[in-house]
Amino acid sequence: MILLRLITWPYVRKHLTRTALTLTGILLGVAVFVGMHTANQSVLFAFQRTIDRIAGATQLQVTAGETGFDESTLERVQAVPGVRAAAPVIQAVANIGIRGEGNLLILGVDMLGDRSLRDYDLEEDDEGAVDDPLVFLARADSLIITRPFALRNHLTVNSTLVLDTVDGPKRFTVRGIMRSGGLASAFGGNLAVMDIYAAQRMFGRGRKFDRIDLAVNEGERIDAVQVRIERTLGPGFQVRTPGSRGREIESIAAVYRLSANITSLFALFIGMFIIYNTFAIAVTQRRAEIGILRALGATQSQIRRLFLTESAVAGAIGSVAGAAAGILLARALAKYIGGLLSEVYGIGERAEEVSANPNLIGLAVTAGVVTSIAAAFLPARNAARIDPVKALQKGKYESLSEGENRARRSAAVISALSAFACLGLGGRGVLLYTGYLLTLIAALLLTPAAGLWLSRLIRPVLRRVRPVEGALAADSLIQTPRRTSGTIAALMLSVSLVIALGGMARASYASIVQWMNIALNPDLFVSATQNLTARSYRFPPEVGERIQNVPGVAQVQLVRDARVLYRGRPVMLVAADIAGLVSRARLPAIEGDTDRMYREAAAGKGVIVSDNLAALENLHAGDILELAAPAGMLRLPIAGVVIDYSDQQGSILIERTLFRRYWNDDTVDLFRVYLEPRASESAVRQEILNRVGSTTRLFVLTNREVRDYILRLTDQWFSLTYVQIAVAVLVAVLGIVNTLTVSITDRRRELGVLKAVGALRRQIRGAVWIESLTIGFLGLMLGLALGAFQLFYALEISRRDIAGIRLEYQYPLKIALALAPVMLGAALVAALGPAETAVRGSLVEALEYE
Amino acid sequence: MNKRRSVSAALAATALMAPVLFGQDGRQIIAESQRRTRSKSQRYEGALQVMDAKRHVSAKRWNFIRLGSFGDSKSLLRFTEPPEVRGVALLIYNHPDRASDQWMWRPEIGRDQRIALQDRSTRFFGTDFSFEDLEERDVNQFDYKVLGDEAVDGAKCWKIDSTPKQSKSSQYTHSLLWIRQDNYVLARLEGYGRNGLARRVLYRDLQNVQGVWTARTIEVFDARKNSRTILTLDKLEYNVPLSESDFTLQALRRGS
Amino acid sequence: MIQLSGVSKRFNGKRGVVALDNVWFHVPRGEMVSIVGPSGSGKSTLLNLIGGLDRPTSGEIEIDGERLGGLSDDNLTRLRRDKIGFIFQFFNLLPTLTCLENVALPLHLRGWPRRKINERSKELLALVGLDRRLDHLPDELSGGERQRVAIARALSIYPPILLADEPTGNLDTQTGWEILKLIHDLRQQLGATVLIVTHDRAVAESCPRTIALRDGRIAGDSRQ
Repeated sequence: MILLRLITWPYVRKHLTRTALTLTGILLGVAVFVGMHTANQSVLFAFQRTIDRIAGATQLQVTAGETGFDESTLERVQAVPGVRAAAPVIQAVANIGIRGEGNLLILGVDMLGDRSLRDYDLEEDDEGAVDDPLVFLARADSLIITRPFALRNHLTVNSTLVLDTVDGPKRFTVRGIMRSGGLASAFGGNLAVMDIYAAQRMFGRGRKFDRIDLAVNEGERIDAVQVRIERTLGPGFQVRTPGSRGREIESIAAVYRLSANITSLFALFIGMFIIYNTFAIAVTQRRAEIGILRALGATQSQIRRLFLTESAVAGAIGSVAGAAAGILLARALAKYIGGLLSEVYGIGERAEEVSANPNLIGLAVTAGVVTSIAAAFLPARNAARIDPVKALQKGKYESLSEGENRARRSAAVISALSAFACLGLGGRGVLLYTGYLLTLIAALLLTPAAGLWLSRLIRPVLRRVRPVEGALAADSLIQTPRRTSGTIAALMLSVSLVIALGGMARASYASIVQWMNIALNPDLFVSATQNLTARSYRFPPEVGERIQNVPGVAQVQLVRDARVLYRGRPVMLVAADIAGLVSRARLPAIEGDTDRMYREAAAGKGVIVSDNLAALENLHAGDILELAAPAGMLRLPIAGVVIDYSDQQGSILIERTLFRRYWNDDTVDLFRVYLEPRASESAVRQEILNRVGSTTRLFVLTNREVRDYILRLTDQWFSLTYVQIAVAVLVAVLGIVNTLTVSITDRRRELGVLKAVGALRRQIRGAVWIESLTIGFLGLMLGLALGAFQLFYALEISRRDIAGIRLEYQYPLKIALALAPVMLGAALVAALGPAETAVRGSLVEALEYE
Repeated sequence: MNKRRSVSAALAATALMAPVLFGQDGRQIIAESQRRTRSKSQRYEGALQVMDAKRHVSAKRWNFIRLGSFGDSKSLLRFTEPPEVRGVALLIYNHPDRASDQWMWRPEIGRDQRIALQDRSTRFFGTDFSFEDLEERDVNQFDYKVLGDEAVDGAKCWKIDSTPKQSKSSQYTHSLLWIRQDNYVLARLEGYGRNGLARRVLYRDLQNVQGVWTARTIEVFDARKNSRTILTLDKLEYNVPLSESDFTLQALRRGS
Repeated sequence: MIQLSGVSKRFNGKRGVVALDNVWFHVPRGEMVSIVGPSGSGKSTLLNLIGGLDRPTSGEIEIDGERLGGLSDDNLTRLRRDKIGFIFQFFNLLPTLTCLENVALPLHLRGWPRRKINERSKELLALVGLDRRLDHLPDELSGGERQRVAIARALSIYPPILLADEPTGNLDTQTGWEILKLIHDLRQQLGATVLIVTHDRAVAESCPRTIALRDGRIAGDSRQ
């Protein structure tokens, strides 16, 4: 398009900084979208790849949630017609004490049968020391590792490696090295194979298997065999193809994915305002030019096309750069997400490579371009409607027409009313999101009017503070709503987002602390793993007796946590001695009678569910909860609902004896230890370590440490929101810089006059700063107001759609107060560059500027 | 039950067969071959040499005892060398009418473990025997066809094809057996899988021990891995005093 | 009061246009001088240099005994706001401020107390005859009234020097005369030194001294 080259290019070249800023807006949005999703997908992909590679020739996998099942299940599966080979597996992540290696995925297999499912592809040893399957089987310390792991750690056949077992550290001997590729590349190569019985011992699994991998006879339909196995084993077991198992992890990552979507959506949204702003400014600045073009015979549609093409090109450039930046960002994020998943959910994964999904990038670039074009739509229409005669006359052209204002206001009112109506209609699902969207639209439509009104309101104040600079700054905003309202809207969105997220974080914090005060009151926690969420290692129950015998220990409570599937949702099943538990930590029932709830649960006649699970699955006290267990269907009434933050997906508390009966499992994940009144915490801790820790791998955590740990986890979860905040603030700052850059050009003469009549450099600087601060202030005020609504919707969405957690609505005043200096500081920073440009501008030219 | 006769393969074929001509029926030849190896019990010390494709040699030793006769016997095999594997043992209950039961004992793990049927085709502890090769075959589970006469190591043999019946699960689609016509001793066995020859077993150093003709050297060749195992039977005795209690799971766990 | 010694000004355009070339002259205290010349002769440049809005390429300018060359930007600004009042052809009033606020602008910039600013601004607007239009915006005034406001602003600190760049250029003849008369009157009242750039012969002739510029050089310097 010739117009583009003749008209746009010179303009772009002249306003290079601003063009770059505009592109940055889209770039950031796309980068965040691509980055967060790519990182997420890479981690999930790594999970799936590990599952696939470990699966080998496995066609079906039998599991019972996380609980594992009796060894005898194996023979039942093997006896199912159509099963060619079935092999038991124990899979757990062990931390190894090698710096930089992190975790090692231990695969416990039965070497005899497993080779028909997995190809170990062992290296032949040139030294002649043949890796002998008999030796591997005969020795409990046998380990097969991968070539990459061996190379990294300088290990060869017969090297030894110390691993933590439930009975303390044990020395293992490398008896084979797998060639790279295939199984050896699962879990980033940090994989070791050992005998399944050795693995049972190492992780305290008792006589249980985690999983059975199997292949079906040739000619058999996999789904037919699947049904047969399901029928044989009963509902407590899941029989899945390896490919579908990754979906469970995906469902866990769903919360994260939603968060990533919201962040990138907001980044794009805010980016859209920057683009809108830029084009609105460009149209006003290039009015005369457009007038000339129109006078020379350009049609309205040509003008419109010119601007839309400009925005499309800008969007494309910004999006492509954003996609590239996003992939870079993903590298950093992937590590973070992997860590988050392993800390919060106890499933570790290493995303070795970040691979960009072409569909995702296509989507992101499309979204970027579409956003850009959509943002330019109104300015382009305005440009097309410019009257060539008026355009060539000099004078005022900035202010919004009264008609336009009225139209906006009515649209805003209609949106707001509709939003209320949505809430009134129950506000669930689509209605909730529609209401949310309408609220945002109403806020955006009101922004110019509200901005104007606020500017008028604070003008006297500003004038009082700085008679010249203050009044002029306010006037600048009042006179040119087009220049600033986009930026103010962007700021408003950012601030309201921060308020919403911050409010949620604070509400969660407050609730979690409150919950911890009641539920997490033991003096000491004895865990088999250093972090409480990983459930690789388990204790035999006897360890509890040994802890009980330590002087100073008053009470020991045995707790078993395991993720099981409830209506397809991976929830946390907590098995404990409820009578003991309630004697120390008594959470009030929010549904049902507290006393009766505990009495029934303790008698094994009822279960207690967490409020988030109740909300998500619409459960109430008195409903019958059906939970499929390996030993049959557990059918019990819900004795009560308590507020519990044990797990994001929800938790179910049952009596330990029930768990023993239905899962035939008496292992323990955690001991809650209460001390005698005058016992010293550190002395008892040391004594437990001395007496029990000498023969059993254990970690003794004090109450303080556990609380800190949980708060740290919460922090870590919310640190994602800090990314969002950072993005929001950054985008907003870009908007301010953009607006100010234009503003100082527009105000050149005004600033020139000021200089001519005696304004010092600092006074000129002050004038720009005050304008910026005012923009920041307006954005802040409107944002704080919109934040109240955003927080409401954030809490509703999280309660009804994501975590089911009931959080109290409390406006985060502290955060609002803290935001003021942050946003005003950001505004000041944004003003630094433009202010210097204003100071340095030539006075003579400024005065001649017309 | 006595009517059922089984022919031994591999290890079980260490029994000796008497030279009685019995006619041309394959099933009868095999049955006679089996009849001639009958003994109350057996004991020997086996020396194993496994040579892989690269000619790396590893040596192992085991003690072997058996009580009862074909089709209804119990055997216990326990490794004595090398030191790393000492004590690992395998207990086999052969049944005339179904696949044998096998349990493995690993002293270091402290667990006995049933060996599933599906796992029987896997190599037996790094030798070229498979677990299936360790069980005794029931005559009635196979169909036989005499293919003709052929000499093995200069001795005239019947060459007999044996195919497992539908009911029998086996890693081999069919096997070829060579039975010496002079003494009914199994001289050679070839097991075929879907991809052709899987294993070839040669029986050598024939000796008459306590009236039973026994091959003192058995060579197994794994065609797929191109590796061979040579088993030599030392201190071979028949009809030694052994009791049922030597073949229980407790006995397996006791070790030696 | 104003001393120019060999002042030259080149603009670093592509061709390096010489706007002023070795200009020397002296204006004693209280004198009223008009500077005339055709377009592009360097009149406005000369005024901008004297007002400290721009700096000469070479040569020295002294205002009230102070050399401008040695001053920093801020000190130059201080000198300007203490000693010089500007009147522009296009008035250069800030459109969003009222008359009173426009006049008060330089006083605010100097940090005067509010009460004093208010008094002085009103006094000045009365001086130029606009004491009834204190709270009007510039857009609501006629051209002549706007220029009066501009003059009031220029006089706000009673500067010893008044620089006017085509003060009547944008006004009709009648109004132009009124403005010129106002400037004359004020000069007499306040005793200021006045430089008026103009291409209007009549305006020039109303001044006791006229400096004519041509192509950046002084082509004539005459007293009546």
